[in-house]
Amino acid sequence: MTGIIVSPADVTSMLPVAILVAGALVLLMTEVFLTSGRRGYMAGLTVVTAVLAALAALATPPAGRVFGGMAVVDAFSTFVTVIVCGGLALSALVGAPWLHARGAERGEFYALSLFATSGMVLLGSAADLLVAFIAIEVMSLATYALAAWMRRGRKPAEAAFKYFLLGAFSSALLLYGAALVYGATGSTLFADLSRASGSLLFCGVALVGAGLAFKIAAVPFHLWTPDVYEGAPTPVTAFMAAGVKTAAFAVLTRVALAVWAGAGASSTSFGAVIAWLAILTMLFGNLLAIPQRSVKRMLAYSSIAHAGYLLVGVVSAAAVGGRESALSGLLFYLAAYTATVIGAFAVVGALERRDDAAGREAADAWDLSRLSGLARRRPGLAFAMAIFMLSLAGVPPTAGFIGKLLIFKAAINAQAYPLAVIGVLTSALGAYYYLRVVVFMYMRAPEAGEEGALTLGPALSVALALSAAAVVVLGVGPGPIAELARAASVIGQ
Amino acid sequence: MSQANLLTIVVFLPLAGAVAAAFFPPAEPKQHKALALIVTVATFLASLGLWFGFDAAPGAREFQFEVQAPWIPSLGIGFHLGLDGVALLLVMLTTALTPIVVLSSWNAVHERVKEFMIAMLVLETAMLGSFAALDLILFYVFWEAVLVPMYLLIGIWGSENRLYATVKFFVFTFVASVLMLVAIIYVGAKAGGTFDYVQVRQVLQVSGPAQRWLFLAFAVAFAVKVPMFPLHTWLPDAHTEAPTAGSVILAGVLLKMGTFGFFRYALPLFPEATLHYRTAIAALAVIGIVYGALMCLVQKDMKRLVAYSSVSHMGFVMLGLMALTAEGLTGGVYQMLNHGVSTGALFLLVGMLYERRHTRAIAEYGGVAKRVPWIAAVFVVVTLSSIGLPGTNGFVGEFLILSGTWLAKLAHSPWFSAVGATGVILGAVYMLLLVERVFFGPLQNKKNAGLLDLSLREWVVIAPLLVLIGVMGLMPQPFLDPARQPVDRLLSRFAQVERRLQESDPARPPTTGTQPPALAGRE
Repeated sequence: MTGIIVSPADVTSMLPVAILVAGALVLLMTEVFLTSGRRGYMAGLTVVTAVLAALAALATPPAGRVFGGMAVVDAFSTFVTVIVCGGLALSALVGAPWLHARGAERGEFYALSLFATSGMVLLGSAADLLVAFIAIEVMSLATYALAAWMRRGRKPAEAAFKYFLLGAFSSALLLYGAALVYGATGSTLFADLSRASGSLLFCGVALVGAGLAFKIAAVPFHLWTPDVYEGAPTPVTAFMAAGVKTAAFAVLTRVALAVWAGAGASSTSFGAVIAWLAILTMLFGNLLAIPQRSVKRMLAYSSIAHAGYLLVGVVSAAAVGGRESALSGLLFYLAAYTATVIGAFAVVGALERRDDAAGREAADAWDLSRLSGLARRRPGLAFAMAIFMLSLAGVPPTAGFIGKLLIFKAAINAQAYPLAVIGVLTSALGAYYYLRVVVFMYMRAPEAGEEGALTLGPALSVALALSAAAVVVLGVGPGPIAELARAASVIGQ
Repeated sequence: MSQANLLTIVVFLPLAGAVAAAFFPPAEPKQHKALALIVTVATFLASLGLWFGFDAAPGAREFQFEVQAPWIPSLGIGFHLGLDGVALLLVMLTTALTPIVVLSSWNAVHERVKEFMIAMLVLETAMLGSFAALDLILFYVFWEAVLVPMYLLIGIWGSENRLYATVKFFVFTFVASVLMLVAIIYVGAKAGGTFDYVQVRQVLQVSGPAQRWLFLAFAVAFAVKVPMFPLHTWLPDAHTEAPTAGSVILAGVLLKMGTFGFFRYALPLFPEATLHYRTAIAALAVIGIVYGALMCLVQKDMKRLVAYSSVSHMGFVMLGLMALTAEGLTGGVYQMLNHGVSTGALFLLVGMLYERRHTRAIAEYGGVAKRVPWIAAVFVVVTLSSIGLPGTNGFVGEFLILSGTWLAKLAHSPWFSAVGATGVILGAVYMLLLVERVFFGPLQNKKNAGLLDLSLREWVVIAPLLVLIGVMGLMPQPFLDPARQPVDRLLSRFAQVERRLQESDPARPPTTGTQPPALAGRE
C-alpha cells in the first residue's frame, strides 16, 4: 500500500474528472472577471463540459485497476459517469432559467455542480474506502453549498443546515467504519473486505453501510430527505435525486459485491440486512408519499421509494448467477430514473410560486393545486409531466416500466420472490399518488388567477424535451441501452 | 410476407392516426372528429383483410398473420404478433366497435375534442395489441397501455363522480395486473429466458404449488378485468361515470380482455392449476350471474343497470370457459362477441337518451315510446338479444354455455347450469322491466314531450349492431368457425394433461370433455 507509483495510465483514466474540474475552474475564473451581467453562456459551458467528460469516459478504454488498486475504471464506472454527466447537463439546463428568474445565477453555482459531479465520477470508480470517503466529501461539500444557494429563505436555510449536519454525521459513520475495517483487515481496499471475518469487520462494514444508506436515503436513514429535497432549490433537488443517488448506489454496489465475495456468515447477514432495508424503503417511501400535498415533497418520498427498488437490484446481485442481470437492471434503472426525475423536478420548478416582493415564502409554492388545469394552460408541459409520472409509476411503455421489469426479473432470477412481490405491490401503491398529479393536470379546472401564460424559455424546453424523449425511447426501444448496461455489468474487483 | 404486415398495420394504424392528430390544431374539433373517423374506418377495412384471409379450416396454422422481430433480444423479449381464431374475432369486434363509438360521440363530446380522439385512437391500438400479442411482455405492455387512455376518458369526459370512478378503475386493475407481471417474469425465467408465448407454452414445466400461485396471479389480473364477483366493484362506478364512448368500449372490448386472458394464457399455460381451481371459479361465475341480475332489479340508474347486467353476462362467459367442454368454450367465445354487440348497443342507446335529457334516472322517463318510437323499437330488439331470445345472437351463446356446462364432467355441473339458467330468467325480468318503465306507460314527465327520434347519424351508429344481432342469431356458423380450432386445441391440451394425471393416479375420474348427452347416464 505504501508508495503508490502514479503511472500515466492512471492519470489518463481520470480524464473525465479532470475535464469536469477544469470546467469548474474556468467558470470560477470567468465569474471573477465578468463585467457584464450576462451569464447566459454559463449553463451552456456546463453542458459542454459534461458532454465532453462523458465522451472522454466513453472514448478511453477501461483501464482496470488504477492508483494501485484504489480505484477501478471499468465499464460499470463508465456507465455511471455517463449517467451523472447526463444528469448534470440536464439539471444545468433546468437550473439556468430557474436561477435567472430569481436573480441568483452565478458562475459558482455551475462550478459547484461540476465539482460535485467530479466527486460522483470518482465515487463510481472508487475501490477503496478512503477514496470513497474523499469522493463522497467532494460530492457532498459541493452539494451542501448548492442546497444553501437560496440561503435567505427559512426553508432553504433549514434544508441546507439539516443536510450538512446529517451528511457530516453519515460521513463520520463511514469513516469510523473504514477505521474498524482497517483494524480488522489491515487494508482499506474493497477487495480485502472478504479476507477477514469476525465482529470487528462486521461492525466496520455495518457502519460503512449505514453511512452509504444515509446517502441513498434508505429507510430508516431517510429522515433528512423530505425536508432537504423540499427546501433546496428545485434544480439542485433534481441534481441530488439523480446524481447523488446514482453515485452512492455505484459505491454501495461495489462494497456489497466485495463483501459477498467472502463466504462468511457476515456476508449472508449483510445481504439479509440490505433486503430488509429494501423492503422498508419501498414500503415507507410509498406510504409516506401518499398523504403529501406538496408535489416536491411527494417526489422526495418517491425518490426514497425508488431507492428501495434499486436496493432490490443490489440484493439480487448477491447470487453470482444473477449478478449480470441484477447489475444491468440497476444501471438501466439509474439511467431511467435520472431522466425521469430531472424532468419531473423541471416541471415542478417551472410551476412553483415565487417568493413575493417582500421576500416572504409562499406557503403553497408546490401545492398540487398549482398543477390544476395545466393540460389547458400548457398542454405540452402537462403531457411531459404525465409521461414522467407514468414512468415513475412504472406504467408501460415508459423507461420506468422497463427499469422495474429488469429489477424484478433480477430479483426473480435470484429467487428473491418476496422482494419482487412487495416491489410490485408497493409500486401499485405508488400509482395512486403519481396519478393524482395527472388528475390535477388533466381533470381539474385551472385555479382562478392562474390562467396566465407560463413562459418556459429555450433551455428548460430543451431539458424537458430531452428527458421526455429519453423516457419514451428507453421505454419503447430499450434494447441498445439495456445492451450497454449489460456490457457494463461486469465489475472489475 | 404481406399478410404479416397487414396485422401490424391494423394494430398500429390508429396509433399513427393519433400521432397525426397531434399536429392538427386543437381549436378545430371537426378536423379531429373526421380524422378519427377516417382512421378507425380504415382500420376496420384493413381488418376485413384479416377476416377474409384467415384460414379456419382444420389443420391450418394455429397463429396466422404472424410477425416476429427482435425487441429487447438480451432479455428474450420479442415483438411477436399473430392471431388465432378467437383473437381474430375479438380484433374484428374491436375494429368494428371503434368507428361506431367515434361516430356516437360526434355531438356528445364538446370539450377537448382533440384529446378525446387521440385517447380513443391510442386505446384502439392498445386493445388490438393485447389481442394480437404473442409475447408475454408485449402482451403486458399493451394490457397496461389500455389503462391510461381509458383512465383519461373516464376522468376527463365522465360525469359528476368521475374522479372517484376513474381512480378506482385504475388502481383496481393496476394492482391486480402487477402481480401478473411477477408471474410473467417467473414464467419467462422457468422457460429458459424467453417470453415468447408459443415457446413458453411448449417448454414450461412448473410443479404443482408453483403452478397454482402462477395461475392465481394471472387469474386475479384477468378476473378483475372480466370482472368476476367479488372483484367487480369498480365496474358499476366506471361504467356509470364514463362517457358513452367509454362505456361502450369498456363493456364491448375491455371486459373481453379478461376472458380472453383466461382462454389464451391462464388455462393453457397452467392446466393442472386450472383443473384444481375450476370448481371454485365456476361457482364464483354462477354467483356473479345471479348477483349481477339481482342487483339489476333494484337499480334506479339506467347505466348502472346495464353495468350490473355485464357482471351477469360475463359470468356466463366464465362459466362456459370453466366447463371445459367444446360447447361451453365455444359458447363462451361466442358470448364474448354477443355481449360486445348487445351491451355496446345498450350503452349507445342509453347514451342517446342521456344526450337528449341529461339524466340517466329511470324514473325521469316513462312512456317515451310515443315520442321516440324508433329508439324504443331498437331498444326492444337489443333487449331481446341481451336476454337471449331465440333468433338473436344472445340465445346461441347462452344455450351453448348452459348445455356445455350441463354436460361437463365437473362436479355438480348440472347445479351450476341450473342456477346459471335462473340468470337468463332474471335477465328477462330486469330488462323487460327497464323497457317498460322507460318506454311504455303514460307519458308523464313533461320534459320528455319534446324528445327527438333517431337522427341519420344515430341510425348509422346503431344499424350495424342491429344487423349483427340478426346475422349472428340466425347464421352463427361464420362466427363459430374461427373459434373451433382454438377450442379443440385447448381441449386436446387438457386431455393430454388428464392422461398424465391419470397415469400417476389411476383412480382419478376424467374431468374434461363432454358427458354422454343422455341424462339417464348420470349417476
